[in-house]
Amino acid sequence: MEQLLLTGKLDFADFILRLLFNATTWYGALMQAFFIAGVWRMLQKSGLKGWWALFPGAREYQLSRCAGREPEGRVWSVLSAFTWLINLLGAAPLLLMTGGRMDDMSADIAYAVIKMMIALATAVYAIRVYSGLIEVYGARRRWMWLWIFLRAVPAMVWGFNRDYAPAWKVEDMKAELEKLATHGSASVMDEGLTVNLEERSATEFFQKKILLRDIHMNIPLGHMVLLLGGSGAGKTTFLNAVNGYEKAKAKVTLNGSDMYTQYKKMQYEVGFVPQSEMMRGKDTVYNTLLDTAKLRLPQDVPAAQRTQRVDEVMGIFGLTPVKNNLVEKLSGGQKKRLSISMEFLSNPSLFILDEPDSGLDGVMARELFEQLRKIADTGKIVIVITHTPDRVIDLFDDVIVLAKDSARTGRLAFYGSIDEARSFFGRERMEQIVKSVNRVEEGGDGLADDFVMRYAEVQHG
Amino acid sequence: MADMRENGAGRRFRARHRGRGAQVLIYLGKLLRMFVYQSDWKVLPMAALIAGLVGMVVRRRFFINMEGTLMGAFAMVCVCIWNGCFNSIQVICRERDVIKREHRSGMHISSYIAAHMLYQALLCLAQTGVTLYITALTGVQYPREGLFTRWYFVDAGISMFLITYASDMLSLWVSALSRTTTTAMTVMPFVLIFQLVFSGGMLSLPAWTEPLTYFTVSNPGLKVIAAQADTNDRPFVTISNMIEKMRDSEISGTVTPGQVLDALSDEENQAVRDIRGTEINVSTTFGALRETLEGADFYEELRNTPLDDGTTFGETIDMLDATGATQEYADMPIEAHTTVGELVDMLSNDKNVRAHWDDSHTFTTTVGNVLDLIGEEQTKLLLEEKAAEASYVPAYDNDRANIAFYWLHLIAFIIAFALLATVTLEFIDKDKR
Repeated sequence: MEQLLLTGKLDFADFILRLLFNATTWYGALMQAFFIAGVWRMLQKSGLKGWWALFPGAREYQLSRCAGREPEGRVWSVLSAFTWLINLLGAAPLLLMTGGRMDDMSADIAYAVIKMMIALATAVYAIRVYSGLIEVYGARRRWMWLWIFLRAVPAMVWGFNRDYAPAWKVEDMKAELEKLATHGSASVMDEGLTVNLEERSATEFFQKKILLRDIHMNIPLGHMVLLLGGSGAGKTTFLNAVNGYEKAKAKVTLNGSDMYTQYKKMQYEVGFVPQSEMMRGKDTVYNTLLDTAKLRLPQDVPAAQRTQRVDEVMGIFGLTPVKNNLVEKLSGGQKKRLSISMEFLSNPSLFILDEPDSGLDGVMARELFEQLRKIADTGKIVIVITHTPDRVIDLFDDVIVLAKDSARTGRLAFYGSIDEARSFFGRERMEQIVKSVNRVEEGGDGLADDFVMRYAEVQHG
Repeated sequence: MADMRENGAGRRFRARHRGRGAQVLIYLGKLLRMFVYQSDWKVLPMAALIAGLVGMVVRRRFFINMEGTLMGAFAMVCVCIWNGCFNSIQVICRERDVIKREHRSGMHISSYIAAHMLYQALLCLAQTGVTLYITALTGVQYPREGLFTRWYFVDAGISMFLITYASDMLSLWVSALSRTTTTAMTVMPFVLIFQLVFSGGMLSLPAWTEPLTYFTVSNPGLKVIAAQADTNDRPFVTISNMIEKMRDSEISGTVTPGQVLDALSDEENQAVRDIRGTEINVSTTFGALRETLEGADFYEELRNTPLDDGTTFGETIDMLDATGATQEYADMPIEAHTTVGELVDMLSNDKNVRAHWDDSHTFTTTVGNVLDLIGEEQTKLLLEEKAAEASYVPAYDNDRANIAFYWLHLIAFIIAFALLATVTLEFIDKDKR
C-alpha cells in the first residue's frame, strides 16, 4: 500500500502479508496465522464467536473480554488496529500529509518514532490482558514470557488443548437483560419524590452499558431514607439520576415538578452532599458559606438576610467557633458538617447525602444522623448512603436496596420501611441484607436476581 | 427561573438566581482570596527571579546587535511562556471535584472560566511588570520610544502580557483536559518543548514542520518582540567578531601578478574603487632608488632600454657615474604623488610585468595582515552590513502593521484557548467532571 501510494506500483505478495497478517515476512505471517487460529479457539472456549479473531482490533478486544480485562482491552484493540494500519501504509501518510515537503529520511525517522511509541504502549496493554488470561486459565505466571515473546505458541496450546479451559465464560449480557426485565411505574405524587427510572446507560467504546434499570418508587415528604447496596450497585449513579445532574431515561418529579425538564429551577431544590469534602481548603468557613449562599440563594435576598442565613446555618451545624478558620484546618467531623451546611443553606426539599459518616467515629456519626433526622422532620426528604447503617437504623423511615443483577446492572431489590425490609429479606441487620444481594465473588450470597424478581412481583402484583 | 419560593425565614422571594455576570464576580473574589491563602502570590517573586537570571545573561547584547537581540527576544518569550504556563496549569485539575459540586449547585462553567480569565489577566499583568522592571534593573538597554506609545516599556509590556496570557490560557485548557495535577504536570514539559522548538526563530526547522509553528504562542511572540526590538536594523556582528579572533591565523596560497592586478582593476566593485582611490605618497632619494633598481631582476633589461638621444639607459647612468653627478645627487629627495589605481594601471600596462603575468608566487601571511592591507574597519563594516542584509527577516520589520498583526494573533490564541477550556469542561467532560 505504501508503495502504491508513493509510486503507483504494488508488490502484491507484500501487500497481502501486511493486510492479512500484519507481517512483512513469511515467517511473521505464519506465526500470526497460528496466533489467529489459537485465539479463534480461545474465543470459542469462552463462549464468543471465533471469527472475531480474524479482525485486527476486534481480536484483541474479544480476547480481553475472555480475560475479564475489558478496559485494558479497549486500549489494546485501538492500538493494535492502529499498528495494523501503519504497517500497511508505512510512512506514506506522513509524506502525503506534508504535501511532499518532508524528505524521505525525516519521514522514516518520524515513522519509526511513532511506531516505537505505539509498540511500547501496545506491549504494556497486551501484558495486562495476558495477565488476565493467565488468571482465567489458572496457568502459571511463567506463561507470560511466552505470551510476550512468542504469543502464537500459548494461543495454540490454550486454544486447541482440552486441558486448558477458562474458569468462566463471557456472559451473554443481552440474554441476561431480557431474562431479568421487570417493568412498571410509580404514580406521580403532588408532594414528595416520584422516581420512574427506566434506564440509565453509558456508552463506552461504542458499546452501550446499562448501569441502572427499572427503578420505580414514591418517597413522601418528611421521610429519611437509607440507600443500601454493594459496591458497583449504582447508588451514586442513582442519586445523580434522581437529582437530574446526570440524566437517565426517566421521569423524576419532586412535589409535582419535573426534575429533568425544569432542572434549572429544580437544582436549587436539591441539596447533594458528596462523599468526599469537595471544598476549597484554602478558603475560610465563613467565606465558603457566603459564596455558596450567593450562588444558591435567590439574588433578590438582601445581603443582610444572606449573612443572617449563613450565621444561622453555622449555628445549627456548630461551625460558629471556627467561622474564620481555613477549611483545611477543620477536623473531619467539622468538614462534614460544613459540607452539609453548604447544601442546607438554600433549604432544599430533597437532601441527598453520599456517605456523610465516612471517617467519623460512632458518636460523631450518630450526632450527624440525628441532625439529619431533625432536617427530615421539618418536611424534607433526606436520602442517605452509608456503609454502617445499623448503628443509626432507628433514625430512618425507609430503605432502598439496590443490587447488581447477573447482567451487572443496578436494580431495585427493595423499597419500603425498615421492618418490611427485614421481613422481605429475612435478615435482621442491614449489613446482612447487603451481603445477601452482593455477588458471590464479592463475598456475598449472590441472591440479587431472586430479590429483584421477587420485589418486582410484590411491587406490581 | 422566575418562580416564587421561601427562604429560611419564611419570607417569599422571586427565585431568580445569580446569572453568569454576577457569578464571575463571586469567583473572582474567591480567586483573589486564594491569591493570598493558596500561595498564588509566589508566582510574582518567581517571575522576578527568572527575569533576573535571564536579564543578567542577555543584557550585554540585547538591543545592541542582531544576534543578541534575537537571542534576547527568544529569552523573553521563554520567560513569558514559562510564567504563563505555570500560572494556571493546576488551577482546574486540582479542584475538579469542587467544580463538579458547584456546577451541580448552579455554577456556570463559563462564569468560572471567565473569572479565571480575569484573575489570570491580573496575574500576567503583574508578572509582565515585574519582568520588565527586573530586566531593566539588570542592565538591559531598552529603547526609550515605542511605536504605538511614547514609552517603549508600554509597547513591549503589551506584547509580553499577551504572550504570557496566551500561554496562561493554553495551560488553563491543558488543566481542563487533565484529570489530575500529576497528569497536567506530566503533559506540561511537552507543551513547553513544543512551544520552544517550534517557535520558528531560533532553531532551523525542516520545511514540512513549518505549519506546526502556526499553532505555537512562541511564534508570534518571538516575532513581535524581535520586531519591536528592531532586530533587522541591528548589525550582525558574529562575522566581524570571528575575524577579530582570527587575526593571528596564518593563511597561505598561490597567486599570479595577473590575478592581483586584474582584481585591483575591477572598477565595478565599490571596495576596489575605494582602494584604487587611495593616494600614495612615495618619498625616496636618488641613491636609494638606484639601489632598488640595481637589485631588481629586470635591471639588465632596463640598462639596455634605448633612450631618445640614441644611447641606452645604462650608458647614461655610467656617464653620470663618471662625472660624479650620481654621487653628488645621491641624497637628493624625490617626491612622487600617485594613487593605487594609477600604479595598478601602470603596472598592468608595463610590458615587463606583462611578461611575468602568469608566474605563480606562493605567499604566507596572517588574516591580520590582509585586514591591515585592505582596511580592517572598512572590511568589518562591509561584512556586518552584508550579513545583516542576508539575515533580514520580513517578519521582524519594525512597523505598526506588523506588530498589530502579531498582537491580534496572540489575542486570537487567548480567546481560542479560553473557549476550548470552557467547552472541555462544559461538554466533553460532563459526566466525569
